[in-house]
Amino acid sequence: MSILANKDTRAVIIGGVAGVNAAKRMAQFDFLINRPLTVQAFVYPPEAGQQKEIFRGGELNNITVYSNLGPALQEHPQINTALIYIGASRGYQAAKEAIEAPNIKLISMITEGIPEKDAKRLRKLASEHGKIFNGPSSIGIMSAGECRLGVIGGEFKNLKLCNLYRPGSFGVLTKSGGLSNEAMWLCAQNGDGITSAVAIGGDSYPGTDFVTYLEMFENDPDTKAVVMIGEVGGSLEEEAAEWLAAQPRRIKLVAAIGGTCQEVLPQGMKFGHAGAKEGKKGAGSARSKMNALREAGAYVPDTFGGLSKSIKQVYQELLASGAIKPEAELDEALLPQLPPSVQEVMKQGEVVVEPLIRTTISDDRGEEPRYSGYAASELCSKGYGIEDVIGLLWNKQLPTREESEIIKRIIMISADHGPAVSGAFGSIIAACAGIDMPQAVSAGMTMIGPRFGGAVTNAGKYFKMGVKEYPNDIPGFLAWMKNNVGPVPGIGHRVKSLKNPDQRVKYLVSYVKNETSLHTPCLDYALEVEKITTAKKDNLILNVDGTMGCILMDLGFPEHSLNGFFVLARTIGMIGHWIDQNNQNARLIRLYDYLINYAVKPERPVPEKK
Amino acid sequence: MAKILEGPAMKLFNKWGIPVPNYVVIMDPNRLSQLGEANKWLRESKLVVKAHEAIGGRYKLGLVKIGLSLDEAIEASREMIGTRIGTAEVRQVIVAEMLEHDEEYYVSMIGNRDGAEILLSKKGGVDIEENWDTVRRMFIPLDANTTIEQLTELAGEAGFEGEIAERVGKICSRLLLCFDNEDAQSIEINPLVIRKSDMRFAALDAVMNIDWDARFRHADWDFKPVSEIGRPFTEAEQQIMDIDSRIKGSVKFVEVPGGEVALLTAGGGASVFYADAVVARGGTIANYAEYSGDPADWAVEALTETICRLPNIKHIIVGGAIANFTDVKATFSGIINGLRESKSKGYLENVKIWVRRGGPNEAQGLAAIKRLQEEGFDIHVYDRSMPMTDIVDLALKS
Repeated sequence: MSILANKDTRAVIIGGVAGVNAAKRMAQFDFLINRPLTVQAFVYPPEAGQQKEIFRGGELNNITVYSNLGPALQEHPQINTALIYIGASRGYQAAKEAIEAPNIKLISMITEGIPEKDAKRLRKLASEHGKIFNGPSSIGIMSAGECRLGVIGGEFKNLKLCNLYRPGSFGVLTKSGGLSNEAMWLCAQNGDGITSAVAIGGDSYPGTDFVTYLEMFENDPDTKAVVMIGEVGGSLEEEAAEWLAAQPRRIKLVAAIGGTCQEVLPQGMKFGHAGAKEGKKGAGSARSKMNALREAGAYVPDTFGGLSKSIKQVYQELLASGAIKPEAELDEALLPQLPPSVQEVMKQGEVVVEPLIRTTISDDRGEEPRYSGYAASELCSKGYGIEDVIGLLWNKQLPTREESEIIKRIIMISADHGPAVSGAFGSIIAACAGIDMPQAVSAGMTMIGPRFGGAVTNAGKYFKMGVKEYPNDIPGFLAWMKNNVGPVPGIGHRVKSLKNPDQRVKYLVSYVKNETSLHTPCLDYALEVEKITTAKKDNLILNVDGTMGCILMDLGFPEHSLNGFFVLARTIGMIGHWIDQNNQNARLIRLYDYLINYAVKPERPVPEKK
Repeated sequence: MAKILEGPAMKLFNKWGIPVPNYVVIMDPNRLSQLGEANKWLRESKLVVKAHEAIGGRYKLGLVKIGLSLDEAIEASREMIGTRIGTAEVRQVIVAEMLEHDEEYYVSMIGNRDGAEILLSKKGGVDIEENWDTVRRMFIPLDANTTIEQLTELAGEAGFEGEIAERVGKICSRLLLCFDNEDAQSIEINPLVIRKSDMRFAALDAVMNIDWDARFRHADWDFKPVSEIGRPFTEAEQQIMDIDSRIKGSVKFVEVPGGEVALLTAGGGASVFYADAVVARGGTIANYAEYSGDPADWAVEALTETICRLPNIKHIIVGGAIANFTDVKATFSGIINGLRESKSKGYLENVKIWVRRGGPNEAQGLAAIKRLQEEGFDIHVYDRSMPMTDIVDLALKS
């Protein structure tokens, strides 16, 4: 048996993230003792309509968040308990609604910092409605083997250590949350564990007092003794002493009272819980409470450390009198283990998980990102540049100084090509339509393909093939290309020609060949091809895509990385165009009619639909 | 409880129609002479000047001067402002009209579980303690409508007669309004004075405690509560309070000068029991401290460093119950960093550290702090199997 919370308890939690965390802890207890989920619903207007994932062991439950209490109770008529976690400024209203809800019998308030006036009003309201209002500032209520309300009892391991999976013979009453857990541990260690534990909260005016709960414990036949932890301030402990002395009681009372230190503190110095304040002329002092309880027949050790001994003594007396029988020790190995998360099991090496992706270039699990093993900041401090990062991330190699210079020039040369080309034009149209930067740039980016900028990869690929398969047979290469591919990628230009060469190509070729020691078989091969194609037609020159492709192949970059250089370089330009249009506050543009040839059917009537 | 100074209390009285003398709160004595030009009462009344700070026994310290002319009041303000009393500095003075009066009464109101109680006596003033048997009381139930007639009746019981009883009843009803609407916890007006020639009443001195938790519904509270520990806060206390106001959970710290056992304890309930245990075993505490509600590790670290700096300490008690949700590993990492930092700055010489704790991730937390032994700390670490406050016994016997 137990008080307040039992196997039939079903709860709604009113509040946000703290309430959800509590629900998770409560579900661990539900799993430990194999009972249905205690928490049936959440009420939290900001997240109304969402569902929260609550694991009871390995079983995943989706608990609905409601905007207010009414619908939650309508959907879950079995709810009889409300836990209030919502912030102090909304606490009064939330608790009031719960007290006034007919099905709810027990309201426990976890929220701290509730104004005293609100707490007093809630206490009064609950008593008028015949409800139990526990708290505010309560860590919760625990009934061993039956029900957990709140995070009382701590982590899963502690639930077992404190024997909370099965009922014992001790009731626990505390103001403090932390000490409720300590007291449960003491009862497990020095006795046979608890029936129920109630943290009433450390505020000045708790909703329900010690005496009310003592009376409940007195009426619970399984509870043989109560451990009560009180403190200086108020009169709840004195009232408990009066209750104990008023008539012979079945239960034994063990009590510890905190705050004797205030006797020797400088005058006026007070600390601890909000309610831990001595009144005028020593009323409510720890000493007067201890004396009152002792006189009433309670076991009151001098210090908290003495509590273990007192509990043990009471337990031995109860055993000797036959009031309780020693309980067979439960084999803890039989108790369920909380299912571990995948991460935990993997750490122990007990499960193999096939990775979803594999990476070979970078790792950010340490203090900073590493590119192919090199820390980004160290690369910076040692004078490396963006070309070297490209080398590491695209080719997993640090380029030499000469190679870096070439990469840098390739990017510089292809960064932009004016507003008229497909990519820039696409970005500009998007910018003028008021599209944000990432989308506008990707509008330009979608233009990159076989006819615009996307020939770098194929140029590199086929010239490389030529070097390998037709080293001294350019006509053979061209014939193969004609039969299998079509026009040679990297050859030909709409505007430029032998007489009107592309300065970028001229510069790049000359730079690589004259100012570096790079071995350039691909480039050389492409220049040989150009000699033959330009003999046929003046504009079949090696274009900038082809030049880049060959040089990049000669630099050792992987074939399929080559378009990346154009994509990267041109991104710089497209961003520039987007910024430029936005700086000018450019208007939406549309094509003029005279730029369109409307080769359409003349106007005609729509026939009736058949 | 949050005590507020006289100035803010007077302002709240004024708001609810409780008569107060004319007063001003000033930081700059020159301001008083300017105010004197504008306010007739400053020129024509006798004045009282009081240090407007949370300093106990102001009268004995010479921080209350009475019966002054405006010039004398300016002079007294000049003397008081900037005076240092221990760690406190007088930054403000309150200058009030000294009302010539015929009688001094006592009226107070204090909250209780079911509402509040109002106390009234005709024999107010400094001797109220001796005249306590003249005090008449009335219970004011929560949210009940207590009438002026009922309060006038109370005044009658306390010996007030005729028009005076009616006026006192009316003042009491305003006190009720002020108490209820301002989320007060206690208000003590002593003395409430009367000048019979013009039937003028005034609350000459007042102590008011308000519920600081209710501040969310009082946008006009433009003041802060003063120290509740009988003296102004020290710089270190102020620093920890500043951290406390910024974090989830809490850290608290109060210095107790002269103590040898420093407390670095967790939880509002357990911390007090640790302090009790030190006192019960004949030790002296150097401070009270508390961290709770799973505070950030950096906040616990700051608290740790503050505690390590306490002068002449011989022991630090790193104690706590078995936590429900405060992560022991995380909070201990703050404590470990704080201890290391303090040691590197030369603190903790000949200081023994005693640890007892349980809760989430207790095994990792305790193992980590135990490793400080290898770094030369005199640290003794116990788990949940050690009774909570028994580390205090071990410390004081060592």
